[in-house]
Amino acid sequence: MKIGLEVHVALPTKSKLFCACSTTSEEPNSSICPICLGFPGSKPMLNKAALEYSLDVASALKCVSKNRTSFVRKVYFYPDLPKSYQITQLHDAIGVDGHLDLEKKRVRIRRIQLEEDPAKIIREDNYTLVDFNRSGLPLLEIVTEPDIASEDELREFLNELRSILYYLGVDIEKELKVDLNISVSDARVEVKNVTGIRNLVDAARYEIKRQEELVSKKQKIVAETRSYNEKSLKTDASREKESDEEYGFIYEPDLTFYKIEEKEREEPIIASRIAEAISKKYGCSKKTLLELVQFDSKALELLQHSQGKWPIQSIINVIEVLKRYESIKLSNEKFTELLEISKSGHQITDQIIKNVTSGSHVKVTVSDVSSEEIDEEIGKMIAANPKIMLEHEKNPKALNFIVGAVAKKLNASPRLVSERLGLVLKKGFKN
Amino acid sequence: MGGAKDSKKQKIEKVNYPKLLRELSKLNDELRFFTVINENVSEGVPFSVKDNLCVKGFESRAGSKILKGYLPPFSATSVERMMNKGFGFLGKTAMDEFGFGSFGVNTDVVAKNPFDDKCVAGGSSSGAAVAASVMKNHVAIAESTGGSISNPASFCGVVGFTPTYGLVSRYGLIDYANSLDKIGIMARSSSMVRETFEIIKGRDGYDSTCVDKKVSALKKKKIVVIDQLMNGVSEEIKSTFQVLLARLENQGYAINHVSFDFIDKAIPAYYIISMSEASTNLAKYDGYKYGMQYGDFTKKYNEFFTNARESFGTEAKRRIVLGTFVRGASVKDKYYTKALKVRTALTNKLAGLMKDSFILSPTMPITAPKIEEARKLSPLQTYAMDALTIPPNLSGFPHVSFPYAYIKGMPVGAQLVTSHFNDYALLDFVSEWEKSFEYQFKHNL
Amino acid sequence: MQDSEFDRLLAVCRLKLGDSEKAQIKKDIDSILSYFGTIESVDTSKLEPSYHPIEVEERLREDKVEPFENPDALLKGTKTYRFYVVGPEI
Repeated sequence: MKIGLEVHVALPTKSKLFCACSTTSEEPNSSICPICLGFPGSKPMLNKAALEYSLDVASALKCVSKNRTSFVRKVYFYPDLPKSYQITQLHDAIGVDGHLDLEKKRVRIRRIQLEEDPAKIIREDNYTLVDFNRSGLPLLEIVTEPDIASEDELREFLNELRSILYYLGVDIEKELKVDLNISVSDARVEVKNVTGIRNLVDAARYEIKRQEELVSKKQKIVAETRSYNEKSLKTDASREKESDEEYGFIYEPDLTFYKIEEKEREEPIIASRIAEAISKKYGCSKKTLLELVQFDSKALELLQHSQGKWPIQSIINVIEVLKRYESIKLSNEKFTELLEISKSGHQITDQIIKNVTSGSHVKVTVSDVSSEEIDEEIGKMIAANPKIMLEHEKNPKALNFIVGAVAKKLNASPRLVSERLGLVLKKGFKN
Repeated sequence: MGGAKDSKKQKIEKVNYPKLLRELSKLNDELRFFTVINENVSEGVPFSVKDNLCVKGFESRAGSKILKGYLPPFSATSVERMMNKGFGFLGKTAMDEFGFGSFGVNTDVVAKNPFDDKCVAGGSSSGAAVAASVMKNHVAIAESTGGSISNPASFCGVVGFTPTYGLVSRYGLIDYANSLDKIGIMARSSSMVRETFEIIKGRDGYDSTCVDKKVSALKKKKIVVIDQLMNGVSEEIKSTFQVLLARLENQGYAINHVSFDFIDKAIPAYYIISMSEASTNLAKYDGYKYGMQYGDFTKKYNEFFTNARESFGTEAKRRIVLGTFVRGASVKDKYYTKALKVRTALTNKLAGLMKDSFILSPTMPITAPKIEEARKLSPLQTYAMDALTIPPNLSGFPHVSFPYAYIKGMPVGAQLVTSHFNDYALLDFVSEWEKSFEYQFKHNL
Repeated sequence: MQDSEFDRLLAVCRLKLGDSEKAQIKKDIDSILSYFGTIESVDTSKLEPSYHPIEVEERLREDKVEPFENPDALLKGTKTYRFYVVGPEI
């Protein structure tokens, strides 16, 4: 069995792909202008941020890019397409020939292209209702080779892709729109426009089963386009789309070529790889770690900050609890406090989290470091970091560095260090 | 009349608009060159706008029925710049539907030639040329894709200037063929053209293809005449053109006749590119958005669209069909992509010829034909009329058509072409020419 | 061009032609296409296509929201229902 995907990802820009209309809106047709309505005389102007997001994704998925990218017009007639052509890409797509590694398999990425979303269309009995707020939203289409061979791999791929995109600032949980290509035997069946990961897995499961049954009955599978019905959980044969002949792609003459500069892009954060490394190092479950950090950059930050300094199981436990109580957004220091409390044998409760985050928790001393030792260390740090002392009145957070460094060195509680620092500073100013 | 000298004075001169509007309305009944007249204009030097440029709140339908009732919610950048400079918007001028024509007859408002109302005004900027010809103090904003400024300028005896592609923002231009469309200017004198060009050119945040290049005025002392371009030119025009060459030689220009064997391929290459792009531009007219409202929403979308699109004229339909065919995946390389490469070949060769020379030719192979004659021409005969105007248009070279003779009372224009961004050299040339040649006009509103 | 191909082409264009218009357009289409085909003779083997006649430097728009200043005019004359634009049946 072979599954290939065309994943449509909405990019998190503020304005649309080719015009300055907002990407968020409330009432239908409230975020529109002559450009995204395709008015005669209007012209597109490419959004820089959309191009940059696209290149980040292409790089994270190890795609090859030419030194320039360009757009084409894809002509088809449908009430959701204001110009009756979509501005999309063909020859000079953002990237081609990339890959995404699953645990046991490499899924090849055929191409990544940037294009405009059509309008939203609601089918009524004798007419349609069209909302052009969606028209012109920036979409990234990620096309895979048919390398996915099972429902599990499909799920793993989607989660992995979502995680990589999430760490690039592109959260696709709500906006995921996918076309599925499934072939159990020779014929390739395309299931169009499935929205959301769950529907996608359901649609794939149904379609695999349907095709397998046809094979077992020795019936022919028709190569066709189908659509997924979220209510019946079935796929049905749907309208034939235009062929390439009919799309009649031409270069978009209202735009030009856009340079893709060869520059070192930051290595993407691949949460699964980090989880794997930590699981190997400390001998804990990768799956557990991945569940914590796959779509949670704060959890990943806490994990990376505290690993090696605390027992991995305590870290996992505290992160789990924080996530459960939706309190993951706290500083490394507060997190350390919670780890201390956890280490001292206390159960971390919602109340304890609240106390610690609000600063009202009277904490247990971590080590028996004396106040004098702390003051002395603070003195050294201040002397070594005069810049921080100049900044701290404007920016009290500047002191966190000193607190952290001293607490770490003496294995003292950050809270205590912070208190002592306050006193030292007061004294300092009196002198 | 005309002449470079008095343009400054014209600008200060107060325009008597009630009188102008009265006379214009009367003449327009006869010559049908305005589609919309702005009765509320009260000050500033009057300018008109070809109907394919959007003017906020004024019906802008590019000569097409399918856009009947379209009131743009914004103005074209060039129009806005003219208004901001205090020019008075006089109205929209007639044109071939979407620019598809060489005689102004492919539309419901057929402009007539001010020198002989039995004859065409040229196309596709037919109304703009008439407007420029009949008013003393007027600039017409027009547009050229394959010769739509030069051609009617020649037939109506005015200066018609088409700048380098990309110098004037196309924002607000109802597209014919985006990689060929150029907004330009028609007027009675090069100085009025120059003044307008200064205002409308320059970068615009709404047109990605609008460039910000310095425009030069490099004078060439040589003039190249391409032999093959003279092939289809009528005998009477050939002989007046010889006189023009002799005059220019006297003025110190060196005339070189050169052969350019595949220059005739500019026409098919141009039509392939323009029709490909046009067929995509015209896809949006499907009957339920701006302009024409096709009522019956119970029809399935394909039938609904097809019914609405019946409102296109025959030439528009022909170009949609041909354009759609030549960009189809199976023949795209043979037609569309090949034509784009032929454009490269022609541009390179023409640029080479123009390193130290202008290219000069008659603008049109004939004088303005009778309206009835023009209607009888087959599409291929009509396309051949563009033989002289297409090469610079296909390659985006700036060019200007200026009156240089009158044959049996009908004006004849010559077309001067120069390298990209050397636009001012053309206006300088015409300005010189105007010192020794007096333009003639039939009407003087 | 065969009748069937011509009709397919019309369907792709969403065009319906009256009898005389159809005859008129169809009559010339073959001669126009063969005329178009004559560009084959130009040697373009070493040339890139010119998508524009001049080199157009890239222009990008900063990602800023600027609502259109004349929103009420946008859907004037367009049939709407509860803020939605009414379109044909699908």
